[in-house]
Amino acid sequence: MAGAAAPPEIELIIKDSRGGGGGGGRPPDGGDGGDDGDRDKRRRKGSPSPRRFSTGIAIGMVSILMFFMALASAFLVLHHGSKVWVAVRLPRILWANTAVLLGSSFTLERARLRLSLGDAPAFRKLWLLTTGMGVLFVAGQLVAWRRLVAQGVYIASNQASSFFYIFTGAHGVHLLGGVAALLFVALHDFEKSQISVSLAAEITSYYWHFMDALWIFLFALLYLGK
Amino acid sequence: MVTYDSGGNHAETPRGGSVSRYLLSTDHKTIGLQYLWLALFSVFAGMAMSLVMRIHLAWPSVHLPFFSALGGTPERYALLPLLHGSLMVFFVLTAAPQLGFGNYFLPLQIGAREMAFPTLNLFSFWATVVSFFGIASAFLIAPQTGIALWVASVSLFCGAALCSAINFAVTTIDLRAQGMTLPRLPLTVWAWFINAILGMLIFSILLAACLCLLSDRFFSTQFFSALDLLASQPPSVAPDALLVLWQRLFWFFAQAEVYIAMLPCFGVVTHLIATFSRKPVWKERLVVLALCGVGLVGFCVWGQHVFSSGLNPLSPLVFSVLASSLGLPATILLVSWFATLWKGRIRFHTSLLFVLGFVSLFVSGGLSGILLAHTALTATAVAEDLVTGHFHLVMGVAATFAILGGLFFWFPKLFGRRLNEPLGKLHFWLTFAGVYCVFMPMHWLGLLSHAGKNPRANLAAIAAWIGPARSFITAGIVITVFAQGIFLFNFLWSLFRGEGVKECNPWRATTLEWSVALSTPSDDLGACEPIVYRGAYEFGVPGAAEDFIPQHVAPDRVAKAN
Repeated sequence: MAGAAAPPEIELIIKDSRGGGGGGGRPPDGGDGGDDGDRDKRRRKGSPSPRRFSTGIAIGMVSILMFFMALASAFLVLHHGSKVWVAVRLPRILWANTAVLLGSSFTLERARLRLSLGDAPAFRKLWLLTTGMGVLFVAGQLVAWRRLVAQGVYIASNQASSFFYIFTGAHGVHLLGGVAALLFVALHDFEKSQISVSLAAEITSYYWHFMDALWIFLFALLYLGK
Repeated sequence: MVTYDSGGNHAETPRGGSVSRYLLSTDHKTIGLQYLWLALFSVFAGMAMSLVMRIHLAWPSVHLPFFSALGGTPERYALLPLLHGSLMVFFVLTAAPQLGFGNYFLPLQIGAREMAFPTLNLFSFWATVVSFFGIASAFLIAPQTGIALWVASVSLFCGAALCSAINFAVTTIDLRAQGMTLPRLPLTVWAWFINAILGMLIFSILLAACLCLLSDRFFSTQFFSALDLLASQPPSVAPDALLVLWQRLFWFFAQAEVYIAMLPCFGVVTHLIATFSRKPVWKERLVVLALCGVGLVGFCVWGQHVFSSGLNPLSPLVFSVLASSLGLPATILLVSWFATLWKGRIRFHTSLLFVLGFVSLFVSGGLSGILLAHTALTATAVAEDLVTGHFHLVMGVAATFAILGGLFFWFPKLFGRRLNEPLGKLHFWLTFAGVYCVFMPMHWLGLLSHAGKNPRANLAAIAAWIGPARSFITAGIVITVFAQGIFLFNFLWSLFRGEGVKECNPWRATTLEWSVALSTPSDDLGACEPIVYRGAYEFGVPGAAEDFIPQHVAPDRVAKAN
């Protein structure tokens, strides 16, 4: 499991950022005033390490993946075990939504590229465009729900439709979290913050691409599972 | 986020009165203690329920005043085991060893000042408390709404557990002090870390299952209510899979939940055995691998469920092999514990007694587990008493022994006082004898009822044994509960009047939590960043003056023997 696989990488990171494992450091009680004391204080006052945010989001993504895998396995079990499965006719707007979401991943990467080149206004513009596309996707999903309702397909109509609403609903809620993160990066003042805007953008991009890939997976599952 | 002022001063986070200082504190020590208080309350509530149930089983006609006042209808009685189980599993076995001790000691042992996300930690705690009240009040309202409330509360608990798991994993990965490389991590930290990763995987599954269940209840979907669906279908349709789906989704979680409860206990037990026998852990690396193995097998046991989904005839076989393969890491752990104790200068404090009690219970419970991994037995005789006896012995009682061992060990760190040793020993021996009197006859009852299924069995002779055995079990549980009264007295008395501890390392232990003042109010590690120079179990190092070298002492400052 992860605990067993992790050591070499983590070891490397530690060596990178902290300059060697143990044994060589300054004795713990050396800092009585002067430069050393100041350095200590600065280190203590700062946040532990901004890397915790990327680790946290990585672990969170595994957890979210497990959540959807449990639903997906329930979907497969019920689909194959049931002889009364009534397929849902997927609304066509889902294809457009998928295109919008894929496009948003693209604009997000463009935005980060602009940021790395130091072009803050272009970054902001592209970033807000990404956010807008995210909102558009959620709106498109709601339209898809309306279409189904218009056809008389409700969440309780049959198991296939239940799964359709559960999958799109759960994914939508998670994606709204991503939209919140995008808005946070766009509106937060990073001058006084613990982390830089580029790190925040990077972490958000992980989550956003993950949501993108997750939607492709769910869409394929729903489409093939008709 | 919490920031820290220079050492010695109070942290500036708490504002307002003492209520908000304790209840809204993001300090990992405060939160850890709060989890421990929650667990203490839950364990006594759960124990009272088991007492009620056993009394009912042995003497069905006895009138229990408080229970009757709640309206002792059959539905309410049926909810009692549910409530007992949920309180014990979620708020004692999951909360105390991982969230309680883990929150308090994981940052201290790795030399971090805080958890990675303190505010998230506070949120997890309060979500846990809300789910506790939800589960408890589910018992008091009408059963139908009560069950919905119960499911919603369990979902909330899952969310809280996921947040905690992320917090634990990130803290271990990113917040270790300088020099605290992975091989130098104390085994407690390894266990908490592996457990966090396992928890992160399985609580998402339970969360998904609970959400489907809630959707069934509120949106009338039919994920699990397959019976209604079947009733409306032609009789030729027989989708077997529908009926077992909930069971399977639930058991993915429940099978691994056993390891969730046990893993941190393994960590604590290994740690305490090394400390009290004054010897390094035997084959420390191998023990780490064994802990990973327990997590991995715990993970695969349900993974097997997911992908075979019961439709494949081979799956029971594979499942059985996997369940038996848990024997390997368990054996490694056992061998390491005995090898560490072997020729050690063992100090029989109450803490170690409880740890040895854990080992004993783990072995006896594990042996009956081998019986249960044999599919034929479980399939033919759903020998309820045998199963009950088995998992209570391993998961419930053994884990509780490890928690008590940890509590006796860390009490000076938590409160600056010692628990009373003679009272502790009395408590240990009464409890130890009591639980064997309760759960061993239960195994026997299970085997008896299994024998009763044999067509040639002498049913009258079997039935003659069942009543006295049940009464014996009930007598045993009364003694055990009485012994817990001794513990409660000891705990409360020692909290206020116990023998104070002056030195900061009363057990002469090596890990970082003992390198700073006891029951530190706010700042964990004082003014200086700790630096770690060696592994966690340097006992009896040749050439050193003392029989232990703490992790934070620089090589040139280690006192040499003359």
